[in-house]
Amino acid sequence: MKPDTLWSRRRFLGGLGGLALSSQTAWLQALAAPLTGGDYRALVCVFLYGGNDSNNMLVPTDSAGYAAYQTARGSLALAQASLTPLNGSNFGLHPSLAALADIWNQGKLALQFNVGTLLKPMSKADYLASLASRPLNLFSHSDQQLQWQSAVYNQPSATGWAGRIADLQGSAAVPPVVSVAGNALFGAGANTASLSVPASGSFVIRGFGNTPASNPAFQAYTQLLAAGNSNAELAAAAQVMQQGLSASASLNPVLTGTSSVASLFAGQTGSLAQQLLQVAKMIEARNSIGATRHIFFVSLGGFDTHADQLNRQDALFKQLGPALKAFYDATVQLGVANNVTTFTASDFTRTLQPASGGGSDHAWGGHHLVFGGAVKGGSYGTFPQLVLAGPDDVTSEGRWLPTTSVDQLGATLARWYGVSEGDLGKVFPNLAAFSKTNMGYFG
Amino acid sequence: MKLVQRSSSRWVVPLALSILAATAGAAPLMSEPEARRFLGQTSFGPTEGSVQEAQHYDRAGWLELQFAKQSAGYNGFSYMDPNPSVGCPDGSPATCKRDNYSLFPLQTRFFRNALTADDQLRQRVALALSEILVTSGDTIRQPYAMANYQRIFLDNAFGNYRDILYAVTLSPAMGDYLDMVNNDKPNPKKGSEPNENYAREVMQLFSIGLTQLNADGTPKLGSDGKPQPSYSQDTVEGFAHVFTGWAYAPRPGENPRFPGRKNYDGVMLAFADHHDDGSKQLLSGVTLPAGQGPQQDLDAAIDNLFNHPNVGPFIGRQLIQQLVTSNPSPAYVARVAAAFNHNAQGKRGDMKAVLRAILLDPEAQAASDGNFGKLREPILQITHFMRALGGSSDGVYLRQAASDMQQPVFDPPSVFNFYTPNAALPGNPSLKGPPFGIYGASTAFNRTGFFNTVLSTTGVAPAKDVPGATGTRIDLTRWQTLAANPSALVAELNRVLLGGTMSAALQTAVYQAIQAQPVSNTLGRARTALFMVAISPEYSVEH
Repeated sequence: MKPDTLWSRRRFLGGLGGLALSSQTAWLQALAAPLTGGDYRALVCVFLYGGNDSNNMLVPTDSAGYAAYQTARGSLALAQASLTPLNGSNFGLHPSLAALADIWNQGKLALQFNVGTLLKPMSKADYLASLASRPLNLFSHSDQQLQWQSAVYNQPSATGWAGRIADLQGSAAVPPVVSVAGNALFGAGANTASLSVPASGSFVIRGFGNTPASNPAFQAYTQLLAAGNSNAELAAAAQVMQQGLSASASLNPVLTGTSSVASLFAGQTGSLAQQLLQVAKMIEARNSIGATRHIFFVSLGGFDTHADQLNRQDALFKQLGPALKAFYDATVQLGVANNVTTFTASDFTRTLQPASGGGSDHAWGGHHLVFGGAVKGGSYGTFPQLVLAGPDDVTSEGRWLPTTSVDQLGATLARWYGVSEGDLGKVFPNLAAFSKTNMGYFG
Repeated sequence: MKLVQRSSSRWVVPLALSILAATAGAAPLMSEPEARRFLGQTSFGPTEGSVQEAQHYDRAGWLELQFAKQSAGYNGFSYMDPNPSVGCPDGSPATCKRDNYSLFPLQTRFFRNALTADDQLRQRVALALSEILVTSGDTIRQPYAMANYQRIFLDNAFGNYRDILYAVTLSPAMGDYLDMVNNDKPNPKKGSEPNENYAREVMQLFSIGLTQLNADGTPKLGSDGKPQPSYSQDTVEGFAHVFTGWAYAPRPGENPRFPGRKNYDGVMLAFADHHDDGSKQLLSGVTLPAGQGPQQDLDAAIDNLFNHPNVGPFIGRQLIQQLVTSNPSPAYVARVAAAFNHNAQGKRGDMKAVLRAILLDPEAQAASDGNFGKLREPILQITHFMRALGGSSDGVYLRQAASDMQQPVFDPPSVFNFYTPNAALPGNPSLKGPPFGIYGASTAFNRTGFFNTVLSTTGVAPAKDVPGATGTRIDLTRWQTLAANPSALVAELNRVLLGGTMSAALQTAVYQAIQAQPVSNTLGRARTALFMVAISPEYSVEH
């Protein structure tokens, strides 16, 4: 893209407001996506806020593995018979995630073991020897959430890895990163911003009537927003509103409209199902939106189960399992299963050893799920030895030293999404520390 | 009145003169724009009445006046059984659960107090503290429980920070929220360790933060040029062991038990036989000796936290961000931290001294650089608008509006509040913009929905299922009388909503919008003009 084209497009979008977007969508589509592959592709990040206890999401089912688990897990151990078997593997799913076994059986669910924030491959001895080799502020919710979302571990980051992918694509009226779960660092780019859309209700400015564009007051308002501000706080407020106005015309009908896949989510009243239905609607409307690439962000909170974990995590998984399954089925019904890859993320996993109150405390590396029509089902990475104070435990309560980095997980997804080999390092600045940059989820 | 500040000699002399002037009954001591700006930082927004009152004082004098005001409080919330099926048995009114097992009645009360009660500074500081020392309605669902918890901040807003830290620590609401209640000593049979939740967050969020700080709030850098952690996992475990052996206090007639039945009245009760008796590693090289028992361990641990040098800059900076500006200069933070460390009597943690330092600082009174200010968080955006325009509300619609803007009162998604103090400013990540954490396109649109609704002719009708409901309304009559004269209308909006700071660009935009409506449509003109200012960036950002 020529610099002058970029400049004029930015100026145009800045002054565009919500006016006459539909006539521009084809043009925007042509500009977007300097990425490899001509087809539509979407990544969906399902962030489990609070630190999901993945020790009880994926449990060894072979006799030795289960025995080790049961010994260390104590009162938090799930009964072996209650686990949902994943045929052909030595692992079972939490019973309330049973719906996901169907995706496994179709060969479209990948289990990524023990992944986390990690500057470089390291041993427990390395960890103990040097504070500098560790990610900053391990075990802190806020820091580990931001590090998962930024893939930057040793300093604060102003951008997230989805935002940096979007930077490669350039800006568009509807930016490629869309959050249905509020603002998150994940989608913040250096030159692009993710768009926050509602999980329910309208996505439109109020107070200017049904046709704002023909309202002189609205025109005066969009001119005001475009006039700029020398104070950065005011400029930021204007920028957020402008971004919404640019996207509103094409997205509001999609978000408030009906969808052929809504019935797949029937009976699911939880917030995550609502968010994923909105994502499905936007995927369904990708052509009218003018998108060839999307990165969506959805979330479910409440995983900080320091107490009463068995009940609380079970209630959350009863939302998570059916919502993820309905979403996968929606992509199949829409004919885009091969074009959409969904993955989980979380602050950290939790200690294997229980804490007083029937819960567990903040830990580090944990297991995650990656699924979609393009995914080659199976197990990836290395499962930790479930031994307190053992070789994978950096403390004595069962805090796993990750054997796969967020960079490796993210780079595998980003490459599939269309980021070129040469650009992967721009998205994951820490990637060079790892010899293996493709975990192989896509064959 | 006595001058008690001594750290900012620059303004001591003019202040003394102005106090003399006040006693002589001379001209207003604050101009109207100064009073409006000051009341934006110290109250839920200026009203015509509060501006007039404040103008009779100088800033320091007005603070003293507010320090003496009694809390409007949250009376009338009393104990209910923790089990909704006991508190609201079959046959109860449909509203029973809403009024006793959700924060609804407390949230509406919050807005009624904020709009009309005269302990404005106390309430405003209490809200700020509630966003630093966080519990949430996602766990603490009973309104009497959250009312008890919020009373800690109302009662101690002008007290001492150590008392706040102590009361929060022993609060049964916090005990429940961060699992200190029923936290048991190590149990080899169960294979369980003390719960680390409160231990970690009391350090990370309520007292010292993650990294060692200089007195001006900037991180201390080690020889490797990197920030230095202020505690380790071992420290977390030390405090986790300190915080063992506390359970809910028994209700009258019940026997003390560990764990006991849920009761959010009073403070948690110590059980020595459930307290870990070993030694504990704390901060600053302190190790508590074995065998002290739960109360002595707790007192020592609170002292250990409270006396850490990080507390002044860490808490001071966040209070500045809540009350004044998102990006205080290090020198401003240092002045506030100094006031935290020593009041005029040399005492540490005096909230009055801290608040004087924050609110009388030259940087609060006049922007020190071009990026001064903060996005109004939804609660403050709502109250500022309603108070400035003399609106009335029973709080029912306002609680919903705040929720739609992602700030349900006392109900944030986690202990990390609605947004974090370190959130980067969109488009300018070298600056902070904490409230932007909940300001995206979706919530920005919802803000326009709030203004559009409260500016409608009828406002919001009283809810039929809320006893004594009065609805939410702003009387637009006086704005209609100005509608024939767009310049006068713009000037009055500038005075009332922006304290005389309205930019030429906004004046032009509002003027154009007014002119687009026929002169005869006085209501349309008034509404459009008010709405245009309300949704402008310069009204959204207090600056």
